[in-house]
Amino acid sequence: MEIWRLPISASQRGKLISSGYTSLSSLSSISSSDLARELKVSESEAMNILKVASHSRGSETSNASCSIVEGAQSAWDMLHDEESLMHITTSSADLDNILGGGIHCKEVTEIGGVPGIGKTQLGIQIAVNVQIPNDFGGLGGKAIYIDTEGSFMVERAFQIAEACIEDMSEYNRFLRKDFQECKIKMLPQDILENIFYFRICSYTEQIALINYLDKFLSEHKDVKVIVVDSVTFHFRQDFDDMALRTRVLSGMALKLMNLAKRFSLAVVLLNQVTTKHTEASFQLALALGDSWSHTCTNRIVLYWNGNERYAYIDKSPSLRSASAAYSVTARGIRNSSSSCKRIKMM
Amino acid sequence: MARLANLETEYPVLDSTVRNFCASHGIFSVEDFLIHDLYMLAAFAEQNDSSERLKEGIAQVLSIIDDMHQPWLNGMELLEDAKRNKHVFPTGIQGIDLLLGDGIHVGQLTELVGPSSSGKTQVCLRTASNVARNHMVLYLDTGNSFSPQRIAYFLGKTISPSSAQAKNQFLQKVMSNISCHSVFDIFAMFDVLHQLESYLRCQDGRGGCQMRLLIVDSISSLISPVLGSSSTLGRALMTSAGYLLKKLAHQHNLAVLVSFARVSSVLIINHTVGGEGGSSKPALGDSWKCIPHSRLFLSCDRGSNTYNVSILRHPSMASGKAARFVI
Repeated sequence: MEIWRLPISASQRGKLISSGYTSLSSLSSISSSDLARELKVSESEAMNILKVASHSRGSETSNASCSIVEGAQSAWDMLHDEESLMHITTSSADLDNILGGGIHCKEVTEIGGVPGIGKTQLGIQIAVNVQIPNDFGGLGGKAIYIDTEGSFMVERAFQIAEACIEDMSEYNRFLRKDFQECKIKMLPQDILENIFYFRICSYTEQIALINYLDKFLSEHKDVKVIVVDSVTFHFRQDFDDMALRTRVLSGMALKLMNLAKRFSLAVVLLNQVTTKHTEASFQLALALGDSWSHTCTNRIVLYWNGNERYAYIDKSPSLRSASAAYSVTARGIRNSSSSCKRIKMM
Repeated sequence: MARLANLETEYPVLDSTVRNFCASHGIFSVEDFLIHDLYMLAAFAEQNDSSERLKEGIAQVLSIIDDMHQPWLNGMELLEDAKRNKHVFPTGIQGIDLLLGDGIHVGQLTELVGPSSSGKTQVCLRTASNVARNHMVLYLDTGNSFSPQRIAYFLGKTISPSSAQAKNQFLQKVMSNISCHSVFDIFAMFDVLHQLESYLRCQDGRGGCQMRLLIVDSISSLISPVLGSSSTLGRALMTSAGYLLKKLAHQHNLAVLVSFARVSSVLIINHTVGGEGGSSKPALGDSWKCIPHSRLFLSCDRGSNTYNVSILRHPSMASGKAARFVI
């Protein structure tokens, strides 16, 4: 029954099947007014159904010899594309090292940790660092910050932006001391202007926003990172129907993956932790359970080790498991200042 | 399976009297015909006025159905087909190849099941890089985890050190055999599989480098948004996806490898499972478990960075056997 494959509503599907239209070929020779009459639906609905069916069928006949499937890319082309993709630095050289240069574009990265470890700080730092101009090795793009907990502080963002600009002019002075000094024309206000901030207060708003982002990103093509802080907050309490929660979360994850791939941007999801009771011991695990843990491309876990903050790569398709120390300073995220600063490879 | 109305042009026997009779019993297409009790239908046709026409019509539909089934094969033909077409592809990972007795089979759907970051994507990438040396590979990626860097790394490890240019050429040749496509919902996957089917039908006639491996990483993330609601659509989509993959594997001599997320929780999406407290179960419950031909369970030993694989189900190897491997 090929009608199963069409993305149409359940009632339309039921009407099609009960009238005997079970295969795509049966829909090929009928006009929309006849279909509307038979199914007792409006003409626009019938036209919609026929359009979806012919699109499905049309993909069968267009058999380009160069690619097996429309939209597929060969691994060789992707390798070259990947080499030209930039990363978003986190301002901590150790952290960038274990991340292979920084946060990757076209991937969904989940960052989780206990409260107070610096997740929001890292989120704000990334939203500022994505705007570093191309001349200084950055992406020169804008950022979307989706705040679910209300933990975004504008004054802190201003502080981090100021520090970032100071670092850039320092770098500029250091590197270009032979040539004439080109002054950095960026001001902290400009950086703040390029962060699009959304505050959401319930899970329906969150889903609605993710759906809306498609249109928003087609209008603002220079957005290069989406930071969601935190993605789990509205799903943890008051959700009676767990099956619904899993469906909604996996649908949301797929949409974010789609956005990351289509618009070539990085998606950073900040997550909270919860205690998991396994085999009579308590363990910290990221919130939202195992089904959510499969939905990201990379996962970084932030934890305390003594008095130091550490970041550990938990899941990645191409990076080794490693951990590195970092610290949260007045200027933002920076390298840890401890003396025994070594990256531990697992 | 066409509507009876559409068949009238080809088979004039199925005229309006026959169709009206069928419609009075709720039969509008050839498919509906199959679901009905044919003896009852013939009995009703007897009682009707134009019983001859109706019986002719019924006989015609039955002959149409007869033309539609797959040809019969006897044991010798199956053995011939198995020897000629159904090869075994080594995955390139020693532990797995030893466990499976040479590798994954063409014509079968092999599933990799495991908790998060247990090495499923790495095994898929490794297998893709190994098979791509001689055949074409299609990689369907649902989580943007296809990493060309990793494939280049695996290939680089296997060739002997030679000039950079020769290495580059080798990489280009092999990596051009791998096509990667991102799918983010199940309907898109059905579209892609449909296009693949028409491509494979053309390919069967030609020679040259043929597609022999299809990887879907991971299929569970496509199915979980639709499964579990009050309608049965999710389950139907899941089983038809499984059957379509198996059909592609058998008819067009592909090896199909899918990766699957495992959820350890009592709160499982599928409402028929009432599992014991805290036991690990693969996501999507029992309906999916019988679909793949062979199922491998992967887990990662964090301390020593080795992976464990054990057989949950296999047509020719004993289940419960386990092995370790490193990537």
